[in-house]
Amino acid sequence: MRGLVAAALLLATAPLYADYTPFYLGLLAEVLVFGLFALAYDVLLGHAGVLSLGHSAFLGVAAYATGLLLARWRAPLEVSVLAGAAAGLLTSLVLGLLVLRKRGVYLAMLTLALSQVFYYGVLMWTPVTGGTDGLGNLPVLYLSEPLGWRLSKRPVTRYYVLAAVVFGAMLAIRHLLASPLGRVMRAVKANETRAAACGYDTGRVKLVAFAISGCFSGLAGALLTVALEFVPIENIHWSMSGSVLIMTLFGGTGTLLGPFVGAGVFIWMRDFLSKHLEYWEVFVGGAFVLIVLFLPDGIVGSLTRWIGRRRPAPASALGAPPPAPGRPAPPGPAPAGPDGRLLESRGLTRTFGGLTAVNGVDFVVRAGELRAVIGPNGAGKTTFFNLLTGALPPTGGRIVFKGRDITNLPAHAVSRLGLARSYQVTNIFGDLSVFENLCVAAQSRVTHYRPWGRADRLADVNRRAEEILGLLGLGAKRHARGAELSHGEQRYLEIGIALATDPDFLLLDEPTAGMSPEETRRTAAFVRELAGRVTIVLVEHDMEVVMGISDRITVLNYGQVLAEGTPAEIRDNADVRRVYLRD
Amino acid sequence: MNGCILILVALGLSIVFGLMGIINFAHGIFYMLGAYAGWLTVQLTGSFWLALLTAPVAVGLVGVLVERGVLRRIYGTRNANFAGVLVTYGLAIMIPDLVRMTFGRPGKPFAVPESLTGSLFRLGAIDVHGYRMFILLVTALLLPSLWLLLNRTNLGLVIRAGTSDNLMVQLLGINVARTWTITYALGAALAALAGVITAPLVAVAPEMGGLVLIECFIVTVVGGMGSFLGAVAGGLIIGEALALTGMLYDVLADVVIYLAMALVLLLRPRGLFGQEGMSEE
Repeated sequence: MRGLVAAALLLATAPLYADYTPFYLGLLAEVLVFGLFALAYDVLLGHAGVLSLGHSAFLGVAAYATGLLLARWRAPLEVSVLAGAAAGLLTSLVLGLLVLRKRGVYLAMLTLALSQVFYYGVLMWTPVTGGTDGLGNLPVLYLSEPLGWRLSKRPVTRYYVLAAVVFGAMLAIRHLLASPLGRVMRAVKANETRAAACGYDTGRVKLVAFAISGCFSGLAGALLTVALEFVPIENIHWSMSGSVLIMTLFGGTGTLLGPFVGAGVFIWMRDFLSKHLEYWEVFVGGAFVLIVLFLPDGIVGSLTRWIGRRRPAPASALGAPPPAPGRPAPPGPAPAGPDGRLLESRGLTRTFGGLTAVNGVDFVVRAGELRAVIGPNGAGKTTFFNLLTGALPPTGGRIVFKGRDITNLPAHAVSRLGLARSYQVTNIFGDLSVFENLCVAAQSRVTHYRPWGRADRLADVNRRAEEILGLLGLGAKRHARGAELSHGEQRYLEIGIALATDPDFLLLDEPTAGMSPEETRRTAAFVRELAGRVTIVLVEHDMEVVMGISDRITVLNYGQVLAEGTPAEIRDNADVRRVYLRD
Repeated sequence: MNGCILILVALGLSIVFGLMGIINFAHGIFYMLGAYAGWLTVQLTGSFWLALLTAPVAVGLVGVLVERGVLRRIYGTRNANFAGVLVTYGLAIMIPDLVRMTFGRPGKPFAVPESLTGSLFRLGAIDVHGYRMFILLVTALLLPSLWLLLNRTNLGLVIRAGTSDNLMVQLLGINVARTWTITYALGAALAALAGVITAPLVAVAPEMGGLVLIECFIVTVVGGMGSFLGAVAGGLIIGEALALTGMLYDVLADVVIYLAMALVLLLRPRGLFGQEGMSEE
């Protein structure tokens, strides 16, 4: 909050330092507009983890849309600017729908290639767009009545209008990032698979992030047209995508201030270096390579960290809300199918090429049961879990949960029905704090993508995360990043994330994998305790644990059910002994 | 002919991606540097044939420098694939300006070698130029040898094994670091060779790398990233599409290839010859 007031004051008084010189005011306005562009870009890169090299299309299409409206149709300024933002939004939706079929660096390559279409579009349409000469002859800019300001006549007025719009947009982005939607975006960045398993449609989240980024990039493009009174073709050339990437990384991703600082540095390099050095791009490119290699947090990010290190670290337990007393209230009885069947699979099959990993498995779990699934390595246990949770589509067979056919539902939809899982290989949100890990999961029961309100003020979510934190005994580590925990602690958090979604049915994939004997004992007791509140199926290799806590056991071998029964029955089963003891 | 050039450049891009998981944005630079190295050789010695040798060797060495000096620093860091895109992108901004600094802004003329000028024979209404046949010949010779290198030699085995599981190859006691350097240099040399043989058809200019890079992206999307056959098929398709639309309706030439890419993305996201999974990350 203090930062915002300081920023507003700085923006308001900047013309004083700039001596009211039109040149400096123009430059300042340009820095602000490019800062907004970089901030919009960072919504996608720094918060949703999507690297785009196609943002020139969003900025450029919007700049041309605004320019054409002003120049050809003499539209009012506000309408033209809003139309520019809308054009950016539309472009990003079209591009996003195409490129989001891919991920990672492959996606980056696609955005670059596709954004060039718009550049060629401008060239093809030269009679209208002015082609390589750019779009000029914009009329004197008016705000429409009742204000009736003539912007281009007074640089100071124009500066203030631009600064106000940029500041407003910055506030809006800040608000979005703090909302439940913003939290989900960061979860998708940290671990997309797990975010889906917590009930979030990650494809949709990324598309929304694309659209937000495109819309504000469009606004920046429209404002740039207003600031320059001209649309240079460079706005829509692919090098513009490179420029915004450089600005963002110079300043530091994941911060509000970084993009503006980066834009300032970049424009300083462009204007002042190029005055003295003909080949300034050598320095920009070189500085960029050095920043990526040695200062990956950027200027602002590195400064913040440096200041943070010099100050004494705040004692983590202080300032945190007091832990909620007591245990989580037991959920009501889960609505089960006929005769208490909560989950049922019929003839469930999955093949990988020539290999049949799961072969016609019939499996019934009743509400309240604690079932163990055992079997030798490669028996298909984890694949079976992946089928039940929608992580993999089955080749054949049906899955019914709470009387509903969930056979071909995607992972996030299965999770929302109350079926949660933990993973054999630890799969947490490594970059988020322990508390935030649990909040992401807990939030899926309250709201998914709400773009308003503050995520950290969702009382139900905080309470639930607090309960789980107490249950796991990780209270002292609440501020630690997930990746910083010890192996055993990560395994607890692994289960905790699944629990935080408040499931009726919990699949635990080798919860004790890699644990010490003491940790294993604790975990077994913990799972037994949980079994009173939620139906559990666990895959486990530790026979002592399996025999000690489960109600019934299912044995898989070569993807088929070999036997099923109580621990005593399984211990005496001749087939099982043969498979395990090879006798 | 366009297709042949695209195949050579896209192959290097594809091989490097397959092994290292890095989309090499500096690849277009190697193509441009190859053209300049060829131009320099011709200026100094007057021999085009020598340029065919010096350019790939010189640019291959640049590739070694880039891999050892820059890329090596990011392997194994968090988000190494992203960082790979970012640093090579930085190089792609920086190096053209370095070239402008050294050789000046305007492009350099590059003459077709005398022995290859003129028309060889007529095919219907079309003159078949000696130089174009030469490009075809070079590609036709190079592709099978490359295929043999990748599929029938130890180096090729290590490259292909590294593509599918890098860590495992290291655990087998194989010097993967050296393989990566060799592969990266090989990709750079291929691009450089393509740069030299294109040079007589276009002006040698610092900007020539950017355009070919984007076209190669499209080739690999259409053909399938990381696939030898994909690069060849994609190069032919995109090259022909460019040539045909260029002949029929010039204005559309640049847009048609993007439409082809969008179509492939919608119908077969991993590309014509891409393997499942490979295209994902």
